[in-house]
Amino acid sequence: MTLPLFRIKNLSLYVFLAILGLLVAMPLVLILSQSLMDNTTLYTWPPQVVTLAPNFGSYQTLFSQPDLQLGRWLFNSLFASASYTVVVLTICAPAAYAFSRLQFRGRNVLFFILLATIIIPSQVTLIPNYLLMRDLHFLNSINALIWPGAANVFAVFLLRQFFMQIPQELEEAAILDGCSYFGRFWKIILPLSSNALTALTIFVFLGHYNDLFWPLIVNSRVDMRTLPVGLAILNSSYGGSERPVLLAAAVFATVPILLVYSFFQRKIIQGVTLTGMAGR
Amino acid sequence: MSNTIVTGSAPAATQQATRRFQINLRRRESLAAYVFLLPFMFFFCLFVVRGVAAAVNMSFYDWDVLSPVHKYLGLGNYNELINDDIWWLSLKNTLIFAVMTVAGSSLVALGAALALNQPVRGRGFFRVLLYAPSLLSAGVVGTTWVWLLNTQFGIVNYALHFFGIPAINWLGDSNLVLPALSLTTIWWTFGFPMLLFLAGLQGIPTLFYEAARIDGASPRQIFFYITLPLLRPTILFVTVLGFISHMQLFSQNFIMTTGGPGYASYSVIYYLYQIAWKSFRMGYGSAVAILLAAIIVIFTALQFILIGRRVQY
Repeated sequence: MTLPLFRIKNLSLYVFLAILGLLVAMPLVLILSQSLMDNTTLYTWPPQVVTLAPNFGSYQTLFSQPDLQLGRWLFNSLFASASYTVVVLTICAPAAYAFSRLQFRGRNVLFFILLATIIIPSQVTLIPNYLLMRDLHFLNSINALIWPGAANVFAVFLLRQFFMQIPQELEEAAILDGCSYFGRFWKIILPLSSNALTALTIFVFLGHYNDLFWPLIVNSRVDMRTLPVGLAILNSSYGGSERPVLLAAAVFATVPILLVYSFFQRKIIQGVTLTGMAGR
Repeated sequence: MSNTIVTGSAPAATQQATRRFQINLRRRESLAAYVFLLPFMFFFCLFVVRGVAAAVNMSFYDWDVLSPVHKYLGLGNYNELINDDIWWLSLKNTLIFAVMTVAGSSLVALGAALALNQPVRGRGFFRVLLYAPSLLSAGVVGTTWVWLLNTQFGIVNYALHFFGIPAINWLGDSNLVLPALSLTTIWWTFGFPMLLFLAGLQGIPTLFYEAARIDGASPRQIFFYITLPLLRPTILFVTVLGFISHMQLFSQNFIMTTGGPGYASYSVIYYLYQIAWKSFRMGYGSAVAILLAAIIVIFTALQFILIGRRVQY
């Protein structure tokens, strides 16, 4: 009696997941296939979903126009995000170690101040930091994309949570062996939190890579744009007449991300879940 | 000689030495801590503390970037803001958008997480697929959805025409533009809350479900009396976090509608962008940023009071 019912229940689950999956995948498949059309095929009713004669003209335009520097923008994005991630880990991990393992005056007060700033949206500091970048002559450079967000409070908070879970005994053994503070941090705490560090790396990198507002205002020059900014600005210049070029640019921006995702899907999903749950 | 000292005042001397050693150790530990903290605190003070203080200060000035002198206005900027219709409209739009998007993406995320928490085939595949849009940048999402929502040639209207629904001008109709942006954002961002809900569901001990089943509880009862109450901490976290991030709406309307039609999709941050980087009024922009921050803090506190009151482990 219960067996068919169980199957029907599962069937509805499959239908639900299939519909959801289709809704998620459809837009991406569609822009891929429509980026291979010319203008006249694209602007027809009913909309053409697949083309039998793929046209690579839009991709040729993509790499021949002077205002379309997609390769450069991708490089800017990757380089800035990678540098930013390295900087965040380098300065936030020691701070998290101090907050989790060392006793010092003002520790609780300082940590409370840090936590309080998490609630303040980053937009508050946009204008002063923009003016600071201008005065330091950091506008239109990678520097503007790295340093202002370097003190990542969330990263400190997260790593502190993980460091606190590491048993104190392990460090005590190292103290008896005459290990310095830095040695304990470098040889015991860091290797034992490789999971947390990987997760944080993914989270910080993706967050920075997808940011739009800050890179838009600090790096306005064509060759210093990041990929999201370049793509956003293209919408106003290519939106009307050359839609396939725009779609091709979107595909170009999507493919590297999805490629990395397909290789490291498990790590990425674990990392995002881990950081998200720890933040809770 | 050493003998006399040891026999003479042994306990006191050792105690003193121990204490001195401890003080030294504590001092050394403090010193080490400050060294570990130094790089972080440098950037924290320069960009966060100084940034907030400067923004508060600037909000009291007529801070035109192009002019060398800045006039002190007192609360003038805030006074202007209270009488600024575009500010109120932007705030209203942002709130409507945030509430719609948080509700929508939480529901989709919860549904997906509940389905993925069942023993179905291919759940690993679906989890990977459903999270994929979250990895895309705003540029890609905006470019894609502007085209999907196109009135004449968009696939959304094409799908709707099978149900006899005439072509809808999604991004050009002031009543539909916010729901359209919200729909786009739900598609883009429901993956993160989905993963959090999934982790939350997996954290509920199966013991509870077994006990309920033995007691003859229906699936609906199990959901409302076990799953949902135990998921409350996650629900609180997802809605608070979602609200904070969606109140900062900028990319979607910047790319897809440029605030239009008219001011129908102006958001607070979009207005801030216009004020500070198109009209160069940095002081007035700072006032906007600070008022938005205050509103977000108040709403977050309210959410904690409303949902958080019932959160118990």
